[in-house]
Amino acid sequence: MGILEIHNLNKSFGGTHVINDFSLDVTELTLCCLVGPNGAGKTTTMDLITGRQKPTSGRIVLRDDDITGLGEHEIAQRGIGRKFQVPAVFRELSVRQNFEVSYSQEVNPFRNMFRRQPAGFKSRLDEVATLTGLKDRLHVEAGLLSHGETQWLEIGMVLMQNPAILLLDEPVAGMTESEIEKTIVFLNQLKKNHTLIVVEHDMSFVREIADVVTVMHMGSFLAQGKLSEIENNPKVREVYLGEPEI
Amino acid sequence: MTKNLFHDKTAQWTIYAVFFLCLAAIPAFVSDGFLLNQFATYGVYAMLALSISLCWGFGGILNLGQGIAFGLAAYGMAMTMQMQSQDASNPLPPFMANNSLEQLPFFWEPFWNTGFGIVLALVVPTLFYVIFGSLMFRARVSGPFIAIMTLAMLSALYTLILDMQPYTNGVNGISPPAALHIFGTDIDPYSTKAYWIVFALLLLTTVASKLLTQSKFGLVVQALRGDPERVRFLGYNVALYETVIYTISGLIAAIAGCLWVMLVQYVSPAQFDVTFSITMVIWAGIGGRLSLLGAILGALMIQGGQSYLGDQFLNTWLLLLGGFFILVVRFLPRGLAGLLEKVLGMVADRQPRESGPIARPLAPHHAVGASEK
Repeated sequence: MGILEIHNLNKSFGGTHVINDFSLDVTELTLCCLVGPNGAGKTTTMDLITGRQKPTSGRIVLRDDDITGLGEHEIAQRGIGRKFQVPAVFRELSVRQNFEVSYSQEVNPFRNMFRRQPAGFKSRLDEVATLTGLKDRLHVEAGLLSHGETQWLEIGMVLMQNPAILLLDEPVAGMTESEIEKTIVFLNQLKKNHTLIVVEHDMSFVREIADVVTVMHMGSFLAQGKLSEIENNPKVREVYLGEPEI
Repeated sequence: MTKNLFHDKTAQWTIYAVFFLCLAAIPAFVSDGFLLNQFATYGVYAMLALSISLCWGFGGILNLGQGIAFGLAAYGMAMTMQMQSQDASNPLPPFMANNSLEQLPFFWEPFWNTGFGIVLALVVPTLFYVIFGSLMFRARVSGPFIAIMTLAMLSALYTLILDMQPYTNGVNGISPPAALHIFGTDIDPYSTKAYWIVFALLLLTTVASKLLTQSKFGLVVQALRGDPERVRFLGYNVALYETVIYTISGLIAAIAGCLWVMLVQYVSPAQFDVTFSITMVIWAGIGGRLSLLGAILGALMIQGGQSYLGDQFLNTWLLLLGGFFILVVRFLPRGLAGLLEKVLGMVADRQPRESGPIARPLAPHHAVGASEK
């Protein structure tokens, strides 16, 4: 039994089947990499899990709680955080304010009117700012951060949310070598307390972080296992890798 | 480099206090009732600019139909004041008789009671905003489409009220014959009493709005102005937040509507006029939509300019105003308050590091938030 279970998911846009009968079990406190060629349906799967898209059929269960078809904010409240492919931060707000908004323990607008700083925020901010290396940048307008810092900020924002599961869509896209290395250390540390699903193209990066690799092809489940198993899987080689070496 | 004074909360509250002290001093120097009445009317416009600053500046909801709340409340207030001049033996306002009505229409009945009438004048527009707002925001209408929808709704109400001649007196509007009688006294619109009522409510709404923008709620609203999608994925119900800020802004406009009728003893479909609602947006735009006080000062400046310069320039005044607005939108997207923010930022940068007790290393001058906070 996984913390997140996807059963027979289907999604079609006006007759075009994007996701075909896709199932996935994510075990708690593991890092699962979702890989596959362009158009395999990885981002759509993320959209379906987080409620941005509604599945045509199938069920998504988070800790025995059926979250299929709920709104984005309801799913987020139940403990699924998401980092977008194109970094989405509040560019007009300071880094600190970005973190403050992301600390979404209380989402009721009326109760938030009478609250300046919720309990536990300070210590959490300290923790996350240190983790993401943004401690000295708290008062900077987020729009002025470098691309790498913006990626970190968004990961930090998702952490402020303190979700049970983090979905990261290409977290190292556009990062420099040293930033990627930092991210690898960071994600391996994160695994201790969080469950992660990472969509990624970069195989050398996947090798460094993944506990389990799930391969998608044309919207369907193709294979799952340790990276070494996946690499030797003839089906995967045929449709995705296309060559004997990765 | 030191912190930009513009973002300093103590400095902000000080400026607000100075501004309201200046307003409080006016009755001591102005004895002319007509002038005092005019200043009180400016206070009402200031309140409208404040309401626009809340929903457009902070929430990013470009509301071109703020006349909806203002007008509905104004009609409610006018009906209440009209019924104060009627009694059981003569229950029909004169214009109804002229329009050959024989009985008081049912929806006029609640306005017999002054307190209940005023409550209705505030509740009806507020509920209207709740319903209209949640319809718009749940459908994720955003950006210019909000402007179009609010504008269309405003025009629809304008036509509706214009067309219901027997019940609303159509284009002529309602002119209650006597001043508002409440809490056992008459509120003479030309008296200091009327001025103080407007002053108190402007102070109240401004302080409440300022506190609101500084709360966590205000921060979430500012965040969703930039990226509603991101806010949604953080677990906030964006449509609810948008509806709430839109409704609060509507309630403030409704209070303004009631006060306006108290001051001028008149209401007509002109209060639903598209031009008037757009003028409110221009006040906030020129003054600075991201600063509550900026928007208020924008309203005072432009309305004051219109009253005094407008007489001299006649029709060219609108042309001047339009030109000024284009200049501000093009070069000062954050209005005159934004200009002040820039200047203070440059001053803060020039000062040597040691001089600032609250100097923050690594923080550039434009660092703290996009908006006045």
